[in-house]
Amino acid sequence: MRNDRRDDDLFDEMRLRRALRLEAAELPPRLDIAAIAARARAERPAFAAASLASRVFAGVAAAGLAGLVVAALPVVAPAMASDLFTAAIETLTRVAVPASALLSLAEQPTIPIAALAALAVAIVHEYTLRREPVREVTS
Amino acid sequence: MAASVALRIGLPMTRLASPVTFADGVREHQDEVYGVALRITGDRDAALDVASSTFLKAYRAFDRYDQTRPLRHWLLRIATNEAITYVRKRGRELRRRVEVEHASALADPTATPDAESVAREDRARIRAAVSLLPELYRVVIVLRYFNDLSVDEIAHVTKRPASTVGVQLLRGRALLRTTLGAGR
Repeated sequence: MRNDRRDDDLFDEMRLRRALRLEAAELPPRLDIAAIAARARAERPAFAAASLASRVFAGVAAAGLAGLVVAALPVVAPAMASDLFTAAIETLTRVAVPASALLSLAEQPTIPIAALAALAVAIVHEYTLRREPVREVTS
Repeated sequence: MAASVALRIGLPMTRLASPVTFADGVREHQDEVYGVALRITGDRDAALDVASSTFLKAYRAFDRYDQTRPLRHWLLRIATNEAITYVRKRGRELRRRVEVEHASALADPTATPDAESVAREDRARIRAAVSLLPELYRVVIVLRYFNDLSVDEIAHVTKRPASTVGVQLLRGRALLRTTLGAGR
């Protein structure tokens, strides 16, 4: 099955190569190199002018855009700053409500005591774990 | 000869010991550039236009051409881009013309089939089928089977990843097989 497919592919490739080859009757007339050079030279001023015009246009457009931004900034900036400030205050208020609840919970006496106890247990446990390998080595 | 010498003097040269001149490039590669244009556009006049605009562009940009890379690939890249632009501009018109040629290339039932005419008919059918392939596949098929470029070289010329080129070659061949099978 795979061999059949490979044979098909090889056949396709050979057929394609043969079919696409240029025949003698299809060969083009020789290109005139001097004529190409002359045409390029003749078209060069127009080409250069078009290129220059496009660069000038792009430069003017960029300068216009920059000018517009500079002119608009003093007008827009205060409003933008005020909006940003309002947004920041709103975010702070939203975060402050759940944060204050968490803080008041942490202020209760049981929480720090429990936290200290947990820390002490963790330290003791860690020491126990470290001692065991030492005992194994020394015994 | 004088023109050739003038071109040698007039054109930017030379980072290598024996730099390629524009004139050498035209002489060496014009058939291949014309051929790739012909197989992509499927039209002789269009191919001539594409070949001359390719060399015109190459002449203008010759000072920017990296002489450490093969001139052939650079020219083929310009030629395929030019041919694609041409096909897009004249797409419908050319397609119609190719379909007419395709129809006329199909077997004439009254003709006596000798080996040469069968081979000619087969070539015409394959060329017509290649001309009808979507541009994406046509370009890689032509570069592979007309210009004999490797997958990596095609990737370099078309600026597509080599894996993409491989897949496009497979799909292009599958499409050709289907088209040619349906034409029988």
